[in-house]
Amino acid sequence: MSTPDAPPTSRWLGHGSERWLDDPVESGPAAGFGVYLHVPFCAHRCGYCDFATWDDKAGWMHRYVAAVHADIARTVAGGRRAVAPASAELDDHWPEVTSIFVGGGTPTLLPPDDLAGLVERVVAELDLAGDAEVTVECNPETASVALFERLVAAGVTRVSMGAQSFAPHVLATLERQHGPERPVAAVAEARAAGIGSINLDLIYGTPGERDEDWAETLRRVVAVGTDHVSAYALTIHDNTPFGSAVRDGTMPAPDEDLQADRFDVADDVLGAAGFQHYEVSNWARSPALRSDHNLLYWRHGDYLAFGVGAHAHVAGRRWWSHRSIPRYVTAIEDGGSPVAMDEVLSEAERAEERLMLGLRVREGLHPHDVPPLDAEALEDAMRLGLVTTSCGRLQATARGWFLLDEAVRRLM
Amino acid sequence: MTYPIERIRNFCIVAHVDHGKSTLADRMLQITELVDPRKMRAQYLDKMDIERERGITIKAQTARIPYEPEGRGSGGPEYLLNLIDTPGHVDFSYEVSRALNACEGAILLVDAAQGMQAQTIANLYLALEADLEIIPVLNKIDLPAARPDEVAREMTSIIGGEPSDVLRISAKTGEGVKEVLDAIVEKVPAPRTNVDGPPRALIFDSVYDAYRGALVYFRVIDGTFHPGDKIHMRATGYENEIDDLAVHSPEETPIRELGPGEVGMLSAAIKEVSQAKVGDTITLAGKGAKDVPMLPGYREPLAMVYSGLYPVDSDDFPVLRDALEKLQLNDASFTFEPETSVALGFGFRCGFLGLLHLEIITERLDREFNIPLVTSAPSVRYHVVLEAKGDDGEHLTMEVSNPQDLPEPNRILRVEEPTVKAMIVTPNDYVGPVMQLCEGRRGQMVAMDYLTEERVEMRYILPLAEIITDFFDQLKSMTRGYASLDYERSDYLESDLVKVDVLLNKEPVDAFSAIVHRDRAYEYGKTMVERLKELIPRQMFDIPIQAAIGAKVIARETIKAKRKDVLAKCYGGDVSRKRKLLEKQKEGKKKMKAVGSVEVPQEAFVAALKTGAVRQD
Repeated sequence: MSTPDAPPTSRWLGHGSERWLDDPVESGPAAGFGVYLHVPFCAHRCGYCDFATWDDKAGWMHRYVAAVHADIARTVAGGRRAVAPASAELDDHWPEVTSIFVGGGTPTLLPPDDLAGLVERVVAELDLAGDAEVTVECNPETASVALFERLVAAGVTRVSMGAQSFAPHVLATLERQHGPERPVAAVAEARAAGIGSINLDLIYGTPGERDEDWAETLRRVVAVGTDHVSAYALTIHDNTPFGSAVRDGTMPAPDEDLQADRFDVADDVLGAAGFQHYEVSNWARSPALRSDHNLLYWRHGDYLAFGVGAHAHVAGRRWWSHRSIPRYVTAIEDGGSPVAMDEVLSEAERAEERLMLGLRVREGLHPHDVPPLDAEALEDAMRLGLVTTSCGRLQATARGWFLLDEAVRRLM
Repeated sequence: MTYPIERIRNFCIVAHVDHGKSTLADRMLQITELVDPRKMRAQYLDKMDIERERGITIKAQTARIPYEPEGRGSGGPEYLLNLIDTPGHVDFSYEVSRALNACEGAILLVDAAQGMQAQTIANLYLALEADLEIIPVLNKIDLPAARPDEVAREMTSIIGGEPSDVLRISAKTGEGVKEVLDAIVEKVPAPRTNVDGPPRALIFDSVYDAYRGALVYFRVIDGTFHPGDKIHMRATGYENEIDDLAVHSPEETPIRELGPGEVGMLSAAIKEVSQAKVGDTITLAGKGAKDVPMLPGYREPLAMVYSGLYPVDSDDFPVLRDALEKLQLNDASFTFEPETSVALGFGFRCGFLGLLHLEIITERLDREFNIPLVTSAPSVRYHVVLEAKGDDGEHLTMEVSNPQDLPEPNRILRVEEPTVKAMIVTPNDYVGPVMQLCEGRRGQMVAMDYLTEERVEMRYILPLAEIITDFFDQLKSMTRGYASLDYERSDYLESDLVKVDVLLNKEPVDAFSAIVHRDRAYEYGKTMVERLKELIPRQMFDIPIQAAIGAKVIARETIKAKRKDVLAKCYGGDVSRKRKLLEKQKEGKKKMKAVGSVEVPQEAFVAALKTGAVRQD
């Protein structure tokens, strides 16, 4: 990583980096309009996972899929004004959908037609932009050419697969059910089926992972020829088996210095292979290959969300559905609302969110999104090499990226 | 109603914490049907939250208990028993001694399982000095671990008499409590009075009441007091008319007069408790009031332990001053004066009777005034003899209680530190470790006596500064909780003392400076830098932490700059939670103290300066 005194933008002047100067994207509606679908089923729940997913609820699959269909249909039919805050003064029409993301859980545990059917339902209910990005998270184990072909037929353009590591003992620690070779084959299968854009997820800083394990993982992921890499520092969540293990002392807590080292290595290796680091944990081969859907989150855009525990946001109102499959399904079957809670964000809260999300992205905040900042706090954050300003934008520096919470706390 | 003096019995209870003093008092109130059973609650007489939570008594309380012993015929309550419930902690030994002087008898209450504790023995000696009749009582005889015969022998080894004379009770069940009341009537002498003398009363406590001013608890020695009487305080010279004259039975009850031997409470528009000092003599105002002899034993409160109190938020300084003034209305025994710390800003150097007293005051500031505080390391008051001489050719001396004020070494001829006479009571098995501990703390053994074959009383001269660090914790842990400690002020003695500074990022943090013995300097420095390394979160740059004597660094640690502080994943479902978390962390950050460019959490000051839990009673 560069030292705090070095101009942080200097290392960004690679290909594509000029885009943020002439093509800045503002937060809000300009960022697009997305749809998220959640599939809460897994064959095995990994020890680190704190997502809304279960490995013992497969019996609910059929009713769940039906409930999501109903949820989509009813929400869309209700119109936009019904979900936006009263003060938003929006018309009732839904904007064109620029991205769909089917996440989990393991979406590919659903029968292929059911999975494709969910995407098709969204496309049937809402207008899809011509260049919309449609992503499905795939587990390499459940992947096949046939599955990918079915997804392509439904309009899927992108798949995201969890490789996590190419070291067998790290996969074992993470309780992953696949070996290191399966994701490689799955990428080839996706390509063969005509999936245009492929992401692999990696996790680093797992207890027991050695320097060489991480180097090998990076080498393999580059060799596989993906378009996008998400590499996450292992995070221990309290309410997971890993969380208990760390509490009980049977597993060491991840070493943050080591994770910082791993991050530096990832940035070097992926950068050398032509990937551009564009968000804290994300790299893409070109700006066009970034995840549009995830950028929508970071730009505080509007999105609908369906399925258990899914969070939606429209014009400053956020709401989320029940996290329990039975509650979600029965609420919808009974003709009721699956919404568990909602919040209408104040102007100040929206500004805070734009700050904390916008700084995650390479280009930082659009000048219109930079909130009024305390001059002293900004100067301090700049002096410490956490953030920088350029052409009215506020950006994290290379150093600040991994210390973003510190930067945001200082500025908010 | 008034009682003839021969029917009055004034008594207190000498006991260690948890030996059942409050339970016994509760039971007495119940047996004599003084408290409506529906209103009864545990620790009835302790009114402050802190007292009830900690199971200790800080302010004295009284209960006027009419009692008719069985077999003495009927005709209404014949005897008046006045219970004076006193604090027992070493910090309040002066207050205890005054309360004892208001009594003619004391119940020596000892847990039959735990035996005599140093605190109890010390207070027992005070009671014997005050010439009180001692009624030995063993409590908790129903406990499986009780060893009544052995503990009874411990008691009689000090007070004399036969172990078989010791009453055996269970305050919890009420067994034997009536016998205690009978013994009070039988054995405790009636008050003595000088019928020809001018009216005199002894103040044994005073508390502040927002509406009535100081409420003065007193015992009439000679004469009679009435509402409307104009009184004169001998030590402070305060004069005013008595507004309320009352007794506690146990609720406050107005009374028309209080005669010799009686115990009561008065108010007289006294604005501050410092105008009605514990130990002062109340007489009637008028000609000759100043010639009325004072009751013996009065002294000004003496601070033993000093600490700097600083508001975490410097804007709270005036609020803290107001709060300290208000607390002082209620407690004349602590002192404060403004001081400035480079690290902590504006605050006050406060003097306390002891560590428990310090803890009570800081807890009340937090609880009653809601002021987050940083408390500097407790210190004692040193006598510093300077090289420089005054006009009379004598070396100049100064008193230093704040390490910052210690002059440069080359200006100092010598430093003297306060010492205490300490008494430790421990089971025989732990004599070795206790000796080791005391010697490690620069103690000089004075005496060692066996109370029984199993229990030993050890006496040491120890520097007070050694006692106010973690001495008591250490003593407790190396004796598995069995040893107890009491101490009293002794002489100032010369000692080889140095000032150890702690530097954060090269800047001295005056709050962490300490005056310590040269042999202990390295240990102090090392402990402090190690503690601070654990307590101060990693920040944006490397932070060296050093301990130094003058320019010489004796210990060093480094807090490495933090490199990761970011959520790896932040997608749609994470945003709200993450924003709230950051907001909360931001709030927490406001509570940090900036020391130079280093942010130090308030807890770090508290924890780094923590000298171990303060012992109670």
